[in-house]
Parts: sequence; C-alpha cells; structure tokens
Amino acid sequence: MTIVYGRPLRRRTAVAVAAVVAAAAVGLTWSAGQLDLSIGELVRGLPWIGGFLRRMWPPHWGFAAGLVRPVLETVQLALWGTLLSLLLAMPLCMFGARNVSPHPALFHLTRQFFNALRGINEVIFALLFVSAVGLGPFAGVLALSVHGAGMLGRFFSDALEDADPGPIEALRATGAHPLQVLVFGLLPQVFPTWIAATLYRLEVNLRAATILGMVGAGGIGFELYGSLKLFQYQDTVVCVIVILAMVMATDFMSTRLRARILER
Amino acid sequence: MILVKALSKRFGDLLALDDVDLRVGAGEVVVVLGPSGAGKSTLLRCINRLTQPSSGEVFIGGERIPDTRSELRRIRSHLGMIFQDHNLVERMSVVKNVLTGRLAFMPLVSSLFQVFPRKDIDFALACLKRVDLEDRAWTRADRLSGGQQQRVGIARALAQRPRAILADEPVASLDPASARLILDDLRRAAHELGIAVVCNLHQVEYAREFADRIVGMRRGRVVFEGAVPDLDEAALALIYPGPAGARSVGPA
Repeated sequence: MTIVYGRPLRRRTAVAVAAVVAAAAVGLTWSAGQLDLSIGELVRGLPWIGGFLRRMWPPHWGFAAGLVRPVLETVQLALWGTLLSLLLAMPLCMFGARNVSPHPALFHLTRQFFNALRGINEVIFALLFVSAVGLGPFAGVLALSVHGAGMLGRFFSDALEDADPGPIEALRATGAHPLQVLVFGLLPQVFPTWIAATLYRLEVNLRAATILGMVGAGGIGFELYGSLKLFQYQDTVVCVIVILAMVMATDFMSTRLRARILER
Repeated sequence: MILVKALSKRFGDLLALDDVDLRVGAGEVVVVLGPSGAGKSTLLRCINRLTQPSSGEVFIGGERIPDTRSELRRIRSHLGMIFQDHNLVERMSVVKNVLTGRLAFMPLVSSLFQVFPRKDIDFALACLKRVDLEDRAWTRADRLSGGQQQRVGIARALAQRPRAILADEPVASLDPASARLILDDLRRAAHELGIAVVCNLHQVEYAREFADRIVGMRRGRVVFEGAVPDLDEAALALIYPGPAGARSVGPA
C-alpha cells in the first residue's frame, strides 16, 4: 500500500517553484559578485584580524574609570528615549487602531506615519537631529524617541485591535461616555501588552544608545569610536566588555519583568 | 415599559427582523424563544441600538429611543444588558466591573481617574449582595467561575437602576444548576424592583419555568405570543419546525 502524504505537486506548481528557485539563484550569485564576496579574501584577512585582537590584549582596565559617566549617559539616553516615545505613542496609537480610530482615513494616515518612523533607522534620525540641535545626547534622545514612537505606536495599535470587543460593547450598552469605554473597557485589556512592549523597547534603545555616540549623539559609542580612531585597542576592548555587560544585564532584568507582567 | 413598534432590520438580502411588535410591562419577564438565527439577538440589539434598525420605533417608559448620540447614551444608562459571554472586563475587580454600570451617572473626569463616588461604590456592593457575591467583590473577575461571572453581569445591569434589562442568551454556556440560579436572580430582581425584562432563550423548559409571558420567533417574525400554559405542541411547532423530538434541546 502506498501512503501519500499531502497532495502531489501539480505541474504548474512545480514549474512555478523551479522558476522562483532559479531566479533566486541567479539574483544571489549576481549580488555576491556586486558585494565582492570572497572566501579567499576572508582567509587572507585572518592574520590581520588576529593582529587586531592581539593588540586588544591585555585590556586596559584603567580606561573603565573614565567610562562611568558615558555608561550613565547611555542608560539615561535609553530611559528618556523610551519615555518620550511612550508619551508620543500612547495618544497616537488610538488613531492607528481600526476599532478605535475616529475615521478610516485617519487610521491609514497614522499607520503610514508609524511605518515612516519605523522605516528610518535611529542612527539616521540621529544624524538629522545632530544637524538640527547640534552634537550631544539631546540629538540622541530625539532620535530614539521618534523612531521608538513609530515602533511602540504600531505595537500599541495592534494590541488595541486585538482587544476583545465584548466588554467594549457591554460598556457602550450602559450608556458610558466614549472616553469611559476606552478607559474601562479597552485599556485594562491592553495594558500588560503595552508595558511589555515598552520594556522591550527599553532593551532595544539601550543597544541603540551604545552606537549613537559614533555620530556624535551621546553615549558610550563616542568613547568606543574615539579609542578606535586613536588605535587604542586596549581601551576599545574595555568599551566592548562594558557594553556587553550593560546590555546583558538589562536584557536579563527586562526579560524576567516582561514574563512576569505577561503571565498576569 | 418597553414598547416596540413595527421594528425591522435588513442585513443585505436577509430580513433579520420583520415587522416586530412587542410590549413588556414593568416587573414582567418576557422570554423570547426561537431557533438560532430567528432574530432574537437582533431584536434586543435593535432595542438599545447596538444595531441600527432599518425601520420601526422603540419606546422605553414612553420615551422614544432617539437618534442623537448623547440622548441615546442617556436612554441606554437606564437599559441594562446581559450577554451570553457576560462580557466582563476580566482584568478588573468584580466590584469595578459592577461600577461600570454606574459610569453614565458619574462625573466624567474623576471617573477616568478611577475616583468613584462613595454612594456608587456602596450601591455596587449592594447589587453584588443581591446576586450573593459581595464576598468576592475585590477578586479579579477572571478568577470567578462562568456562572459567577454571569451573576456579576446581572449585578452590573442592576447597578444601572435599570427600567428594563435585555438578556441575550444569558445561560447558553452554563450548566443547568448555574443557569437556574441566574434565571432565578434575574426573575427575582425583575419582580422586586419592577424591571421589565426581555430574555432570549433557546431552552423551552427554562422558558416555562421563568417566563411570565413567552414570545416565539422564527425567521425574524413573531409567530407566537402568550402565557406559559399557552405554549403547547402546536405553538412549539410554529416556533421550531421539524421533528418534535428535536425541539426541547436547542442548539448551544
């Protein structure tokens, strides 16, 4: 007895799959050429990488003393960036949720706005804001806030759309004011998701804040970039270790906190 | 108390409500019987305008249900509704769920900041006492059993000091013991407080036990109306076409 799992590919499907695979192969090969992908080049470069790593050793631990202030600034950047994006996203998400938005046009507009903010990387925003408000952490805060507002706005709107319509209808039926329906019927349903998304955003912002310094927008990235430019690789490695420790500590705490909030 | 005149609702090609008239007095429990899709839910939802009727009029206590939004809210504030899935806000405490029945009577801004007048809290607790759940007031709603949650749903409706309550299949997803408890609560509240109750059911036996009057619906039309003893085999055949054995056990 023959057992057939699933249905056999029909000829048209088979031809389509073959065409997609062939097109992908051609496209990727061409791209590899454009990108100068070369294993030989990598192998030839290995000694250089080795030398680079050797020159990092031993770490110049004394450099860490000067990193206290930049580390603090990085954390402050992440906190303020997250706070401001939260404050921007909370009102905006109401217009970006199909079930809350006062008008379909406003819904689409808000969603596109979120997409635009999300589509542009923090570093690019940082470059823009550096030229607007000058070098320094304020530009970084603005960059994180604006990009994060798009991210959180999208998350928040999705959570609103996923809310159970039943309690909302029940509240409308009691004659409650639309704002009361929002506060009592909708927000209790989405708060855990919102808080978890914000905490996750804090993790991401901390990682982003470590590189904003490279474009002069504050944080520990400035020290990292500076030590690289001055060929002080023993300082660089200290920066990298400090960044790793900071990011891992935040991820560890935030992940546990998020799990606890979501299980409630 | 509730007066429905020539109410119709059309969804595309489907005439969900076809020229329905209904009158429910204060303190009277009217059970609407009918198979799934007969238009029972649409009838209730057209009464409090969760669904906009195509034509016809509804009066509550002699007052015509208006079309403007703020006026509609005022009328709704005296119209309780009980849902099949209770529709509580599960993350909120039981008493806060009941308090949502009083939102329309509270100052807007302070209510948004979760500040509730003392008298409203006391009344919410009194409503919980009526359904015998005052000791669970500060529990989160999703910690209660299905039957208890539905009784909180009743308390929420009672907290509105309603002139009428619309109950849409309130016991469809409950075991018989809880179902009887809930219908009993509802009936007692109606009789003691003079509330007009329209209750959709699909179980004939519950209708016989708890109704003061029965209305039978089929395909959007009222096909039977009468007291409990009038609901005989002939009446049931009008409401539920098909083999007689299939009648008393309606679909869940």
